[in-house]
Amino acid sequence: MISKLLRKNISVVQFVAYALANLIGMAILLTSVQFYRDVRAQRSGGSDAAGEYLVLSKPVPMLSIFGGNQAAVSFSADEIDDLQSQPWVRKLGKFAAADYNVVAAVDFAGKIMSTAMFFESLPDEFVDIPLDNWTFDPDKPQIPVLIPRDYLALYNFGFASSRGMPQLSENLIAQIPLKVELSGNGRRDVFDARIVGLSSRLNTIAVPDEFMKWANSRYGSGSDSSSEPSRLIVEVSTPGDPAVAQWLDSHGIELSADKLNSGKTAYIAAVASAVVGGVGLVISLLSLMILVLSIYLLIQKNREKIRDLILLGYAPSTLARFYDRIVIGLNLGVTAGAVVVMLSVARLWRQPLAAVGIEFASPWLTLLLAIAIMLAVTAVSCLTVRRTINRAKS
Amino acid sequence: MNMHLSDRRIDKISLRKLCPEVFSDEDVSGSDIWLKNFAFVRGRDYTIEACSGSGKSSLCSFIYLNRHDFRGELLFDACDSRTFTTAEACAMRQRHIALVPQELRLFPELSAIDNIRLKNKLAAFRTEDEMLEMLDALGISSLAGRPVGQMSIGQMQRVAIVRALCQPFDFILLDEPVSHLDRDNNLAAANLILREARRQGASVITTSVGNPLIIPDAEIVRL
Repeated sequence: MISKLLRKNISVVQFVAYALANLIGMAILLTSVQFYRDVRAQRSGGSDAAGEYLVLSKPVPMLSIFGGNQAAVSFSADEIDDLQSQPWVRKLGKFAAADYNVVAAVDFAGKIMSTAMFFESLPDEFVDIPLDNWTFDPDKPQIPVLIPRDYLALYNFGFASSRGMPQLSENLIAQIPLKVELSGNGRRDVFDARIVGLSSRLNTIAVPDEFMKWANSRYGSGSDSSSEPSRLIVEVSTPGDPAVAQWLDSHGIELSADKLNSGKTAYIAAVASAVVGGVGLVISLLSLMILVLSIYLLIQKNREKIRDLILLGYAPSTLARFYDRIVIGLNLGVTAGAVVVMLSVARLWRQPLAAVGIEFASPWLTLLLAIAIMLAVTAVSCLTVRRTINRAKS
Repeated sequence: MNMHLSDRRIDKISLRKLCPEVFSDEDVSGSDIWLKNFAFVRGRDYTIEACSGSGKSSLCSFIYLNRHDFRGELLFDACDSRTFTTAEACAMRQRHIALVPQELRLFPELSAIDNIRLKNKLAAFRTEDEMLEMLDALGISSLAGRPVGQMSIGQMQRVAIVRALCQPFDFILLDEPVSHLDRDNNLAAANLILREARRQGASVITTSVGNPLIIPDAEIVRL
């Protein structure tokens, strides 16, 4: 009977307008959030995550050819602190160079090939291969080595085809037995080595940090090269952010390869979905205003009745529940609609990408966001109901 | 929290130097109530006689916890009327104090019986038969299904009286309830109200500007 009295002045047009507007706003918002999450998942889930890591070095000055000072190309502690304090730096690692001579040999289809080479190491957390084999035990010495994926490509498509040598797959390359001769500090030893992985992040021949420390102390000249490294690796929190490139430019620091570009597409996608999501949010907020205004008008129109009902003994909270039911019903419908729209739009971009074998983020977080928005909108509306009723009663 | 939200009954409504704020400059020395110490005691009946504009309806609103624009104190037993929240005031209106306002405040779009049911729903106090029986006692049972908006004022007054009786109460306030009723209907209304008040051990407080509800033993109070 209360509803018979109170529903009299309900403006269906106003509530439908709200429902439509909020449906559009929420659908846009949820879709862009899901799109953003899918793009992120694709980037961090795939093997090609190089965009988030930058390898930094300094340009080599002309004079260094003539034995110029090492300091010009290495990073001082102050510079590292400065870099560390940049907002876009999430983690920073130093490359350690080998302080000894390395000669690697391989028995390759009957031919023994050997070459002088170098090792570098960096903290394990920056190594983009499974760390199970990334250890070194001096009692059972076998050196795990990481080479850039590009090297394999160079060998397979450049060297091997022109020399009539077999092309190697990534699996096969791990089977090749390597002999590595380390010398320096009056010692000379030969170790087994194995290529345990190919890195698309690191443009160097890397060995585990613990091996590098051990070998430097054994074969090194004793000068500590790790305190002023000449190369740094940085995990960037906002890949593709132009501010990063600007800062590096202005401080005379070079990227070993312009990895910033690989993050740019994703960055643009992220910005685009943020802008689109923002538009959705604005639409939702405006629709919330429609709802609040409609509630206000409706209660104002029913002011006399509300007052009389309160005089009859109906508590304001009892009357508020009638309006709550309308608001909750509307918002449940709108949220369900927006989620359906989001899921069906997501299929449009997921189908072609799934064919390429890309995995997606689960929609749960987006659904959670939808529920959170619904709860927030409902809370605001129910609060408006109570405030307006309380104002109408006197 | 006021104790009268419980089922404990109210025995006394005390008025201590009560006076509507709008009367602050007027001479109210002839009144038995304004600026005096006065009490309505449960079980006794009162007829408040007054000229127009002497504040009858204000007094009813104060006691019904609807308005607080007065000086002095209004106590329900020991509870100050100003301490009631709206929710508590509503609880009082459901269980302790009934009111027939002068302007009746019926819902014109609802039928007579629906208006009564709306009140009855709060405490589920009467059966459907009892409600119809009361309408019958006032001679309007045939109008039960008619929208109140199509009724005469006299008919509406009777609907409002039945509605007020559809709740438990310690005091029932009737603000000029029979101003549009003839003597026979006045007597019928008085009989019904008194019967229910006695059954509940409650007080009848009625106001009048010349056509009072006929309650033989009521204490006459000048306002």
